[in-house]
Amino acid sequence: MAVFQIFSQAEQRRYYAHVCSKASIFMIFVIALTFIPPFFIAYRSYGFWLRVDNYEEQPQVQFKHQLLVTMETSDSYITWSTFQNYNQLQQANLRIPVLQSREADNNGDGVRDELQLKLEMPLLDTEHIQAVQLILIFDYMLSKFSTMQMESMGYLRHESIFPGGQLKVIGDLLLVQRQPLAHRGLDTRFNTSIFDRNSLFLDAFDLSKVFTEYSSRNVTTLFQYNYPIWSKGRAAGSPFTLQATVRYPLTTVQYTPGLWQLFKWAWIQYFAILVVFIFVFNRIKAFVYQNQLVTTIVIPAFKEHKL
Amino acid sequence: MGVSGLVPARFLTLTAHLILVIVILWSREENVKSCLPLTYTQDEYTFKDNQLIIGLSVALGLFVLELVGFFGGFSTFMPSQAMISTAAHASGAVAMSFFIFDLWECDTYWWIFGFCSAFPALTEIIVLLGVLVFHKGL
Repeated sequence: MAVFQIFSQAEQRRYYAHVCSKASIFMIFVIALTFIPPFFIAYRSYGFWLRVDNYEEQPQVQFKHQLLVTMETSDSYITWSTFQNYNQLQQANLRIPVLQSREADNNGDGVRDELQLKLEMPLLDTEHIQAVQLILIFDYMLSKFSTMQMESMGYLRHESIFPGGQLKVIGDLLLVQRQPLAHRGLDTRFNTSIFDRNSLFLDAFDLSKVFTEYSSRNVTTLFQYNYPIWSKGRAAGSPFTLQATVRYPLTTVQYTPGLWQLFKWAWIQYFAILVVFIFVFNRIKAFVYQNQLVTTIVIPAFKEHKL
Repeated sequence: MGVSGLVPARFLTLTAHLILVIVILWSREENVKSCLPLTYTQDEYTFKDNQLIIGLSVALGLFVLELVGFFGGFSTFMPSQAMISTAAHASGAVAMSFFIFDLWECDTYWWIFGFCSAFPALTEIIVLLGVLVFHKGL
């Protein structure tokens, strides 16, 4: 009957040397060469420290029922807002529209998915509207990693050389980041009001000032609409209708990863290269010590049997 | 000693390092340009170029020294010198290939020269002196 290998066992041979000897200098040298170069290789091939990462979240957006609308004719404008002080300052050009809005959660997951807004501005037949400007104020919150709550703005402007009677706009409320968000904690840096509603001065509602300050924020929202529909001409006696659908889509948010995520990925990279170095240097050490290139005392694996 | 494997390893690493030094000597232009600022004068270029030429030529001279010691039998069978030489020239060959491909600054060449050409040549001189002058065998 043929025999086959049923079990194998490694025998250990020990090498002894003094603290200051060529063998220990060699060992120190090899240990340094085993553990330090993988770090340099991992670092110099880029991506060692994960500085920025992404996550996806549908933000919790709520329309604050604050808006400012301006409709321009060729030589004048009509405006209205939900801010008392603005309306008082703009008494001469004020017109009160009929406003309807609702927010819908289309997939029933508890997070609002869109805002449907309909604004009807009563106009004289002689008023030909050539430009419409709308500012909507939202409460925007992200909660997956850091809890970020801010007041944000959706801005819409459409102009046409043809006087119109209706503007329909469909778009998304996108997140615009100039810097990554944190990975934990509370972030309410931008939870301040965009319009200072208690101010009695005209420059509190000066749009160029408001826009400059808003765009200097590092995290903002942008209402991006690619399909505006402007209907030319308006039937006698009918108001100007502005219909806007603002969707709150799933957003990709950039953030700076936390310490443990950083270490996890750094360790994986370091260890992957370290394994190769350990294997190579184990072979070199075996060659050097076995062939007595440095003098050591060898204790073999088996014990001498006394006869 | 009867060490098979150490002598060929030393020969291979020596030759690899030598070839790389010669290759850089012939195609050093890109490396010199990478350590000059974007706008440079011809004088600055010639200065840096000369520095690199001198370094490489001295390295070649030290190679000749080491090859004399190795082929002449002085340090062929000395394990410690063989190990030092193998380690130094192996890391020298790796560093020089990075030098060529990654276009390292020409000033980093002096570090490579110090550890990977000068150091083993120094130990080789010590061995040569020991054998020739002090008649130390083995």
